[in-house]
Amino acid sequence: MGMRIEADVTRGNAITIIVDGEALPAFAGETVATAMLAAGRQVFRADTGGKPRGLYCNMGTCSECLVTIVASGRRVRACLTEAVDGMEIATRG
Amino acid sequence: MADTFDVVIIGGGPAGQAAALALALAGHGLAIAVIDEPPRPGGQILRQPPAPFAVSNWLPGRSYDGLKAQLARFEALEGISWLGGHSAIGLVREADGLVVQASGQDGLRRLVARRVLVAAGCQDLAVPLPGWTLPGVYAAGGIQAFIKSQQIVPGERVLLAGTHPLMLLIGAQIVAAGGTLAGVLFAQPRQTMIANALRHATAAAAHAGNLAAAASAMKVLAGAGVAVRFDTALTAAIGNSQVEGARTAAGDIACNAIGLCYGFVPQSTLPRMAGARVQTAGPAGGWATVADGWGQSSVPGLFVAGETTGVAGAPAAMAAGEMAGIGIAHSLGLIDASEAQHRAGPARRRHARLLGFARMLDAVADPTGYLPAPTPDTLACRCEDVDFATIDQAIATGGSANAVKLATRCGMGACQGRNCEPTLLRRMATAGRTDDTGFTQRFPARPVAIGDLAD
Ligand SMILES: Cc1cc2nc3c(=O)[nH]c(=O)nc-3n(C[C@H](O)[C@H](O)[C@H](O)COP(=O)(O)OP(=O)(O)OC[C@H]3O[C@@H](n4cnc5c(N)ncnc54)[C@H](O)[C@@H]3O)c2cc1C
Ligand code: FES
Repeated sequence: MGMRIEADVTRGNAITIIVDGEALPAFAGETVATAMLAAGRQVFRADTGGKPRGLYCNMGTCSECLVTIVASGRRVRACLTEAVDGMEIATRG
Repeated sequence: MADTFDVVIIGGGPAGQAAALALALAGHGLAIAVIDEPPRPGGQILRQPPAPFAVSNWLPGRSYDGLKAQLARFEALEGISWLGGHSAIGLVREADGLVVQASGQDGLRRLVARRVLVAAGCQDLAVPLPGWTLPGVYAAGGIQAFIKSQQIVPGERVLLAGTHPLMLLIGAQIVAAGGTLAGVLFAQPRQTMIANALRHATAAAAHAGNLAAAASAMKVLAGAGVAVRFDTALTAAIGNSQVEGARTAAGDIACNAIGLCYGFVPQSTLPRMAGARVQTAGPAGGWATVADGWGQSSVPGLFVAGETTGVAGAPAAMAAGEMAGIGIAHSLGLIDASEAQHRAGPARRRHARLLGFARMLDAVADPTGYLPAPTPDTLACRCEDVDFATIDQAIATGGSANAVKLATRCGMGACQGRNCEPTLLRRMATAGRTDDTGFTQRFPARPVAIGDLAD
C-alpha cells in the first residue's frame, strides 16, 4: 500500500477514478498509478501464467503498468497518465 | 500534418534544458520544440510534483540548487514549443530533414527538424532475480520518482538492495518523507567500495561535496535506526501474490516493497533507431551514443547529450547539454567556430572535471560479480514471460541477440527490449560471445495506440 506524504504537501482537488469498477479517491495531478498504489491496488495486470504483476520502473520505460482507459479503449502507461475525475480504468486489456 | 522546427530536443532534463538555453542565447527567433514524457520539465533528477500540488521544501540540499536554478531559467524561456506529456516514438533521417514522431493523448504528430538533440537520459538497470515480478519489486529510481514527484512512498516497509551508492540518498529521502525502511543492502563489501574509490582519489578529493552528501545521508539513516549492510546480497524477493520479504545472504527480511539499485544504463533506443553509432556504456551495461565534443553523433544533424551518451550525473548532463546547444548553433551558422569555442569553454572544463567523479562512482557502484543469480524459471523478459531456461537454450544454438529474440520472443514486448537486452547480452558474454550488438531497434520506441498509427 502506498503512503501519501503529508508534511509540506498541499494537493490538488479531491477527485475519484474508477478502476475495475471500484471507486478510488485521488487528487488532481496524481497519476493513475499513484491513485492505485495509494488505494492498495498493486496489481496492474496478470501475466500469461495468471500471476499478478505490478508496475516496475515508474518512468515510462518498462510498460509494466499498461492499463486501458475504458472510454477510449486506449492502452496507456499508468505511471505517466494523469488521473482525471470520473476516469474509468480497466486493468485487464 | 507536419510541424517544422529548426531544432527538436527530446528530453526536458538537465541536458535538454541547457541546450535549449544555449540555443536561445545564440539565435533569436529559432523554432525550438522540446518533447518530454512527463507533463513538466525537470528530467529524472528534478521530477517535478504535479502542477496542482504545492510542496514546500521540495528537494532540499545544495546539490539540487544549480539544477533548480537552470530549471527556473528554462521554464521562463519564451518561444519554446513545450511538448510535455508526449513520447518520441520514432526518429529517422528523410529527404526533408530529421523526422520525429511524437505521440500524445491527442494522437501522433510528425515533427520535421533541421537538427535533433536526443537528451533522453538513462534508466535503472533491470535486474532479474527470483521473485522480481512480484508486485512490490521496483526499480529504485522509480521509488525515488514517486517520492520526488507524486509525493507518495510506495510501500510501508521498503528495502533497498543493490550496489549503487544512490541507495543512501534514496533511503534518506524515504526517511525524510516519513516512510519506513527495512534496510539498505550493498551486495559488495565496504572495503571493496573504499578501495575502488581510492583508486580515483584525485576525483574524490575534487568532489568532496558529493561525498559529504553521502555521509550526511548515512547520518540520516543511522538516526532513523536503519541498518545499512555491506557484503549482503539480495538473492530473492519472496511472497505469494505480492512482496512479503527479501531473501538475503544474512537471512530473510520482512518488507512489502523492494527497490533494486545496481546502476543505470543510457536510453539508446532513438539514436540506434536512427542508425547512430553506439559503444558499450559503463559497467552496468547498455549502449552509449558516440558523439564528438559538440554532441554531433555519426548521423548528420543528429546531436546527443547527457546520459544518452553515458551515465555521468546531472551536473555533467547540464554541461554536455550546453556544449551541444552551442554546437548546434554553430552547425546552423548562428555563431562562428571561434565564438562557439569561446562560449563552450567553461562548460567543457566543468564537464571534464565531472567525468572524473563519474568514473569513480562507476567503479564504486560496479555491479559486476554482484548481480543476483536467476534460477531457470526466473523471467528474463518480463513483457513476454520468457525464462532463463528458454533463453539459455537459444543462446546455446549460437544465434545473435536478434536470433534469440525471434526464437523466444525475448525482447519482443512492449518495453522493446529495454529491460532484457542487458540481461541477454550479459548471458551471451558469459557464454563467450562478447561482440553482439544487441537488438535491432524498431519503431515505436514507446507503446502507441494502434488507431493513432492508422490515422
Ligand atoms: C529514476 C532515476 C533517478 C535518478 N536519481 C538521481 C539522483 O537522485 N541523483 C543523481 O545525481 N542522479 C540521478 N539519476 C541520474 C539522472 O538521470 C541524471 O543525473 C540526470 O537527470 C541526467 O540528465 P539528462 O538530461 O541526461 O536526462 P534526464 O534527466 O533523464 O532527462 C531525460 C528526459 O527525457 C525523457 N525521455 C526519455 N525518452 C523519451 C522519449 N522517447 N520521448 C519523450 N521523452 C523522453 C525522460 O522522461 C526525461 O524526462 C537518476 C536516474 C534515474 C533514471
Ligand atoms: S511502470 Fe514502467 S512504464 Fe510505467
